[in-house]
Amino acid sequence: MLSVLVAKRLVSGVCQESLRPAVVELVTTRGYKGEAPDDSRGDIIEIPLPPWAEKDGETMDIKRRRLLFQSRKRGMLENCILLSLFAKQYLNTMNEPQLRQYDRLINEPSNDWDIYYWATEAQPVPDVYAGEIMDLLKEFTKNKDQEQRLDAPNLEYLDKGSQ
Amino acid sequence: MPRLFGMHLPAVSQSSRKLHFSVYGKNNSKVSDGMSTQYPVVDHEFDAVVVGAGGAGLRAAFGLSEAGFNTACVTKLFPTRSHTVAAQGGINAALGNMEGDDWRWHFYDTVKGSDWLGDQDAIHYMTEQAPHAVVELENFGMPFSRTEDGKIYQRAFGGQSLKFGKGGQAHRCCCVADRTGHSLLHTLYGRSLRYDTSYFVEYFALDLLMEDGECKGVIALCMEDGSIHRFRSKNTVIATGGYGRTYFSCTSAHTSTGDGNAMVTRAGLPCQDLEFVQFHPTGIYGAGCLITEGCRGEGGILINSEGERFMERYAPNAKDLASRDVVSRSITIEIREGRGCGPEKDHAYLQLHHLPPQQLATRLPGISETAMIFAGVDVTKEPIPVLPTVHYNMGGIPTNYRGQVITHTTEEGDKVVPGLFACGEAACASVHGANRLGANSLLDLVVFGRACAHTIADICTPGEKLSPLKPNAGEESVANLDKLRFADGNMRTSEIRVNMQKTMQNHAAVFRTGKVLKEGCDKMDAIYQTLDDIKTFDRGIVWNTDLVETLELQNLMLNAVQTINSAEQRQESRGAHSREDFKDRMDELDYAKPLAGQVRKPIEEHWRKHTLSTVDPKTGKVTLKYRPVIDNSLDAEDCAAIPPAIRSY
Repeated sequence: MLSVLVAKRLVSGVCQESLRPAVVELVTTRGYKGEAPDDSRGDIIEIPLPPWAEKDGETMDIKRRRLLFQSRKRGMLENCILLSLFAKQYLNTMNEPQLRQYDRLINEPSNDWDIYYWATEAQPVPDVYAGEIMDLLKEFTKNKDQEQRLDAPNLEYLDKGSQ
Repeated sequence: MPRLFGMHLPAVSQSSRKLHFSVYGKNNSKVSDGMSTQYPVVDHEFDAVVVGAGGAGLRAAFGLSEAGFNTACVTKLFPTRSHTVAAQGGINAALGNMEGDDWRWHFYDTVKGSDWLGDQDAIHYMTEQAPHAVVELENFGMPFSRTEDGKIYQRAFGGQSLKFGKGGQAHRCCCVADRTGHSLLHTLYGRSLRYDTSYFVEYFALDLLMEDGECKGVIALCMEDGSIHRFRSKNTVIATGGYGRTYFSCTSAHTSTGDGNAMVTRAGLPCQDLEFVQFHPTGIYGAGCLITEGCRGEGGILINSEGERFMERYAPNAKDLASRDVVSRSITIEIREGRGCGPEKDHAYLQLHHLPPQQLATRLPGISETAMIFAGVDVTKEPIPVLPTVHYNMGGIPTNYRGQVITHTTEEGDKVVPGLFACGEAACASVHGANRLGANSLLDLVVFGRACAHTIADICTPGEKLSPLKPNAGEESVANLDKLRFADGNMRTSEIRVNMQKTMQNHAAVFRTGKVLKEGCDKMDAIYQTLDDIKTFDRGIVWNTDLVETLELQNLMLNAVQTINSAEQRQESRGAHSREDFKDRMDELDYAKPLAGQVRKPIEEHWRKHTLSTVDPKTGKVTLKYRPVIDNSLDAEDCAAIPPAIRSY
């Protein structure tokens, strides 16, 4: 379906230090299509959702299994691809504090787009999510090794019996 | 009583008895001792159960809870992570804030956009209700973007016109900055919690509980602990979204697996118009990520290998903002005629770099990231490689304009299925007919989610006693689950899935011809049979992603076979269904010529009719029937129906 030439161009284009030119004045507004003024975020301010809470009593193994599902099943395709590739690379070797950071990062934000904007450095990361895992995700997103990123990986990499 | 995310623990307080039916599965000697093959079942009773927590599901759940119904919402995803969150466009409504507007013009645009396959009573209902629905959302707290004088800001979107197509571009799309989908979910979810809606999050609905042709609830798997739950109710609302994942390249998240359509199919009920799959003109070549129509609204243009803005030829007035099926078809024709871009000449270019970089950065920042990460392109310098990509399913579970699921026989006409409702992309009311207009989907979710709630409130009262259910209802679903959990055949889930996706991509994409479709049907049939030889590897029951993706594959297959078989049979081109061997629309009259003197063809001899498809799940054999389109509006005096005409932009 894709020629080798196009594939090479695709991945070589991805390998860059920063993904977009810095536009300082954009830090607060997300932007939209049209002349409308800023997002007042009135819904987020006035209709608070129940706060996210860590799950008690989960073994690390179960936590990994849950985070795998939650990495692969996201609100939009971009995150499905990015997070399932990230999970394939890192989930099974994360230690407990890292798992908990990752859990919070992918489960607490209510707008999936925000996670995408932080990972692509289009928006600054709020302090509560900054840390080791966020840095890992940002690096991973830059794709310095120029891997093809056309879709989420199949699950069978987890099948120990098939190797 | 502990409350977590608004979820009661009703198993303790509300279920009448805990039923245990143990299904002893095939025990594999490799399974560890801790792995149980018993499936304890927990029963719940509710006044209403909604499956799916996207825009439509949440609107239905909220409406029901507000009306005093004890409502459960069963969802495989956390509500704000439903695919609705991806929607960045907006909601169409004839509020008239940017220029004079009339919902009847919106009605006309939608009927025309549907290529006269849409049911005009449902379209009347949706477009008339649209302004009320938007104002209602505003009152719930959705912070729509505003003009300087404080009115809701509205912008242009493809296919929207003034004065029945004669008054130029209409601006009726309302938005919340670029996160309309997210705001809708957040607002509805938050509000519904104040009315005590019970959310069962990360529960995978397996099947409907049907008895004597009536829907009595849903059976689901709790992913967190592997328990089975039966949600008994007089009213079940299906709002499970679309099934883009049947194709190799689509803009949908990996969650769009047609679960509701499949549940309805397994219950022996028909799905409608599945052959009508919308291809969004601009998905990124390769990954499939969507480049929003808003780009073209901001001035982006499509060009071919000769650098020509080819849309000027295909749609002289609307150009790049013509209806999606027109643009998708145009791109495909350019490629087929040898003017495609790239070394393989197999895609088109979306050019944005002629726009000022500042405008790009402020108005379309999300596009820059997506183009860079998934296409390796800097939009300020180069065009984005794009291709028509599967984006939306116009077809789905057939309902009337009130959200009630229907079946159809020639003798009796439409008949309501008691206890079953559907809304959103999963349903087919049908407001989008053969082709959906941009920004009409979010509207569809809200209006019909609301309609389901209203209809249930009209015909039921809270607290009504439930009719009895057979003690082993749902046992087949659990048996299927168990079978898949221990499946040890020769073909992996991912293998079968990619076979299905490639077949659909190669045989049932934008351009379709009889020979290629027939080959595709035969291939799909063979692939369907391979489900019996499937191999899974995760034998656990807690957070078993392999099992869930396999259940989703079963669901996708049922959608795929109906889609391709319906497409093969439909010998005409209408809306998104485009046949090279049958290029014209086949209506009951030839609307390209003067009507005087023409004889109306009987329904068996033309194609302006809905397809109703059913499948035998054991064999994968598809059976097709047809149903007339509803051509009258809800009130002929208030809103004249639009007679069919040739569709040009």
